[in-house]
Amino acid sequence: MNFVIVLLALLGSVWLLAVVEGWTTTGRLRPAAPLLSGLAHLGRESIVPRTPDRVFFETAPVLLLIVAVLGAAVLPLAPTLVIADLATGALFINAALAYVLVALIMAGWGPNGAYAMIGGWRFLGQLIAYAMLIVMPITAVAMRAESLVTTVIVGSQDGLWNIVYQPLGFVLFFIAAMALAFRAPFDLPTAPGELGGGVDAEYTGVRLGVLRLARLTLVITLASATTVFYLGGWHGPLLPPWAWSLIKTLAVAVSMLLAGRYLPRIREADLMRWCWTLGIPLALLNIIVVGLLVLVVP
Amino acid sequence: MTSDPTMSITGARQRQERFTVLQKWVSRALAGNLSCLIVPGPEVALSHGLDVTAAGMRITATPRDASVLLIIGELSEKMNEAVAVLYAQMPRPRAIVNLGGQTPSTLPDADFSAGVSQAGLIDAVDWLKRALAKGAFSDSPEDFDAPVLHARIEYVCPMHPEVVQNEPGSCPKCGMDLVAREAGEPAPEHDHGHDHREHRHHEHEHQHHEHEHQHHDHAQQHEHHEHEHDHGHCHDHHDSHEHDHEQHEGHQHSHENHHDHGHKHQHDESDGDAEEKNSGHDHSEHGHDSHEHGGHDHVGHGHSGHDHGGHDHGASGFMSMIEVTKDLPRSADGLAMDWMEVPFGPVFPGLPGGLKLTLTLDGDGVTEGQATSLVGMINESEEGKEIDAETFIERLASAMPLASVSYRLLACLAIERAAGLENDSATDQARAVALECERIASHLGWLAQTGRQLGFAWLTDRAATLQLEIRRASGKRLVELTPALQALAARLGRTPLLKSRLKGIGVLPSGTAGLSGPVARAADDAGDAWARLWQRLDEIITSLDYIKATGEPGLPVLRNIGRGSGTGEATVETPRGEAQLSLILEHGQVKSYRLDTACSHHIGLVAKLVEGRELGDALVAVGSLDLSPWEVIS
Repeated sequence: MNFVIVLLALLGSVWLLAVVEGWTTTGRLRPAAPLLSGLAHLGRESIVPRTPDRVFFETAPVLLLIVAVLGAAVLPLAPTLVIADLATGALFINAALAYVLVALIMAGWGPNGAYAMIGGWRFLGQLIAYAMLIVMPITAVAMRAESLVTTVIVGSQDGLWNIVYQPLGFVLFFIAAMALAFRAPFDLPTAPGELGGGVDAEYTGVRLGVLRLARLTLVITLASATTVFYLGGWHGPLLPPWAWSLIKTLAVAVSMLLAGRYLPRIREADLMRWCWTLGIPLALLNIIVVGLLVLVVP
Repeated sequence: MTSDPTMSITGARQRQERFTVLQKWVSRALAGNLSCLIVPGPEVALSHGLDVTAAGMRITATPRDASVLLIIGELSEKMNEAVAVLYAQMPRPRAIVNLGGQTPSTLPDADFSAGVSQAGLIDAVDWLKRALAKGAFSDSPEDFDAPVLHARIEYVCPMHPEVVQNEPGSCPKCGMDLVAREAGEPAPEHDHGHDHREHRHHEHEHQHHEHEHQHHDHAQQHEHHEHEHDHGHCHDHHDSHEHDHEQHEGHQHSHENHHDHGHKHQHDESDGDAEEKNSGHDHSEHGHDSHEHGGHDHVGHGHSGHDHGGHDHGASGFMSMIEVTKDLPRSADGLAMDWMEVPFGPVFPGLPGGLKLTLTLDGDGVTEGQATSLVGMINESEEGKEIDAETFIERLASAMPLASVSYRLLACLAIERAAGLENDSATDQARAVALECERIASHLGWLAQTGRQLGFAWLTDRAATLQLEIRRASGKRLVELTPALQALAARLGRTPLLKSRLKGIGVLPSGTAGLSGPVARAADDAGDAWARLWQRLDEIITSLDYIKATGEPGLPVLRNIGRGSGTGEATVETPRGEAQLSLILEHGQVKSYRLDTACSHHIGLVAKLVEGRELGDALVAVGSLDLSPWEVIS
C-alpha cells in the first residue's frame, strides 16, 4: 500500500514539477502539457543509432528511472509512510544514487556518438566532486540523529531543522544534489550549447520520454532527500505530515529548477576545483562542528 | 496550400493498424507539441524579427528533438547538404517549413512555404497543427534519400585485408565470409575484428524486417545511420541499408549505403569526395594503426563503442592499455587518448548557424580546431557581369542577415560615391541612427546566442525579447528602452558564475593583427571573453545615447544616382567591425566590387583561441568573437 502511495506521490510531484518547468520556460500554465508531451513522445519514432552498444543504449534511461525510484523508496513522506524504512536508509540512498553515474556513462557510451560520450565521461570526471559532498553532509546529519534510519533522522529534527542546525551542510548538499541531478547550471553531461544535448543527444521517441521522466524523478528524489535530511521532513503545523513533505519537496525541486534558469553553466574546471579545494574541507568542517555540537549540547 | 493540410510522405510515420485509436490521440498530442530546429539558426530568425516561441513552437537544440525543420531564407549549396543530414536525423513525424527561400534541392518539398514574416510563421504553425493532427501517420510513408547520405560499401576479408570486393561472398584464400565496411575504412585488425565479423554474419541472416526504418544522419557530429527498430537484431548499417532499399526490389546488396557516420563527418561537407576522406581514418580498432594515418585521424570512437560493448576481445587475450595506446599522440597532460575530430555546426546550438567548427578532441580538451563558414559570401567580380545598383544593394543586404542595415548602408554609400553624389547631412544622420539601432539589436542577438551557449535561459529570453522590440521600435521608443537595457547590463554584472565562465577565456595575444570592431576595442582591455561582453554592453549604451541625441532612424535608401559612373569606396563600422566595399559603377550598373569584412579576419583567430583549451572554454572563446559566418568573404 505504502508503495503505491509513495509512487503516486512521486508521479504527482513529477507532474507538478513539469508543469512549473513549462510555466517558467513558456510563461503559460498548462496542467495538461506534461501528459501531452509524454503522449507525443510515444508518437515519435524512437531511433536507434547506427552501431550502438545496444545493451547500454537501451538500459540507461530505464536504469536512471529505477535509480530515482529506489532512492525515493527510503524517504518517508510521513512517520509510517515509507516504502522501506531500512536500518541503513541514509546509506542506501547513497548506494542507489551511485548508479546515476552508471546510467549516464551507459547513455554516453551506448549510442556511439562523440557528443554523448564526452557528456558521459564528463559526469564520471565529476564523480568525486559531487559524490563527496553528498556523502559527507549526510554523515553529519546521521551524527545528529545517531541513526541512519531516515524516519529517525526526521524525528531528530523535531523543534530544530537541520537547515538551522547545520546550514553549511545544507548548502553543500543542495549544490551537490543539483550536480548529481545534472540540472543547470551543472548540466555538463547534457550541455545543449556545448554538446548538443550530450547524453540525451541520441535519444528520441519513447526512450527520450523515459529519459526525461527519469531526470524529473531524480530531481524529485533529491529534493525529497533534502527535505528529509535538512528541512525537517514531515514536521510542520496544521497540515497533515504527508502534505508538508510534499510541499517542502516541491519547493526544493522548483528552486533547483529556477536556479539553473538564472545562471550560466559552470565551467567544468571550476566545478572540480571548487568542490575539491573548498567543498570537501567545508564538509569536513561541518562534520567537526556538528560533532562538537552533538557532544556539547545535551 | 492551406486548404488541405497533409504531411509529406517522407515526414509521416507508418500507420499501425493495431493502434488506430491511440494514434489519433498521439497525433493530437504531437500537434500540440511542435518543436523546431531552426536553420541556419535562431539568431537569424531573430534578426528577421521572427518570434518562434510566440508563434507556438519550441526551439530545440538538436534535430533529434525536433519535429519541424524551419528553414529561413536562402541557403548555400553547402548548407543544403548539411540540412539534408539534419532532416534525416529527425524522428518522424517531421515536417519542413520554408520561410522566404527555395526548398533546398537535397530535401523533399517543404510541407509549408511562406515569406519571412511573423504572419507566415503563424500560418505555418497553424497549418502544421492541422496537418499533424490529421496525417501524422500514413499508410505509405516513404524513405528520405539524398546523395549526401550515401557512402559506398565494400566487402573485405577479416584475415586478408588485401581481399576487397564490391559484392558479398567468401574469401578466395581462406573461405571466410567477407565483412562489409564503408569504402575507405582500414582493414579490421585481427584480434579485434572478430566482433565485427559476427555482426555481419548476423545481419546477413536477417534481411527482411518490415518495420520502418530510415537513414538518419547527423550533421553536427558523428553521423550515425539509424533506423527505427522493433527487432533487436538490426544494429548495423549494413542491415539497415537493406531496409532503405526495400523499394528497389532485388537490390539487396546495394553498395550504396545511406549512412551518416559519426566518425566520418565528411557528410556535412559538400565536396563529394567522401570516400577519399574516409581513408585517413582509423575505424574502430582501439587506436591501432592510427598513427599511420597522419596523427589524429583516429576517430575510433565510432566503432570502438561497438567493439567494446561487444566484449568480444576477451577471448583473444588480455588487452594491454599500454600496448593499445603506445603509438598514440600524447596530449598536454602526457596521457595518450583517442583523438577525435568532431564537427560542431553548421547548425549547432552553441554556435551561430552556418559556422562549422571542426575540433580535434582529446578527451574533452581541444588539441586543434578550425572554423569555416558554409554561408559566406563570395567576392565575385566577374568581368562583364553587371548588376543593377538597386539589385546589388538588395542582394548584399540579404546576404548578410545578421547585419543587413549595415551592408545596405555600405552599398548605398559606395554607389553614391561612385556616382559622385555629395554627402547629405540629414540623410547621413538618419542612416547613422539606423546603423546604431542595428548595432544594439546585433549585440542583443549576440547576448541571446551566448545565453544559448552557456545554458543561461534567462539571458536568451531577455535579450531576444529586447532585440525584437528594438527592431520594431522608433527612435523615441528606443530611448524608452534605455532603462531595460541598462538593467540587463547591471544584471549580468551581478550574475554569479558568469565572470568565472568568461574571464581569461579566449584571450587574444597582444598585438594580434587584423582586429576590428568590439573585438579590437576589447583587446585593449583584457582581451578575453569577459572584456568583449562588457565592450558590447557598453556599446549598446553608447549607441542609445547617440540615438537619444540625434533623432529618428531612417533605413538607407539609395539616392538618385541617375546613370552615373565611377569608382567608389566606402567603409562602415558594422556591429562586428569594419566593412569595406569598393566598386566600379558604370551607367548605374555595378560592374565589379570588392568587399572586405571584419569576420573574414576574425575567423582566422579561431585556431589559436581553441588550441589546448577545454571544450566548453573553446566554444565560449569562439562565441565571444561574434562571428557572423555570412560576413566571412571567400
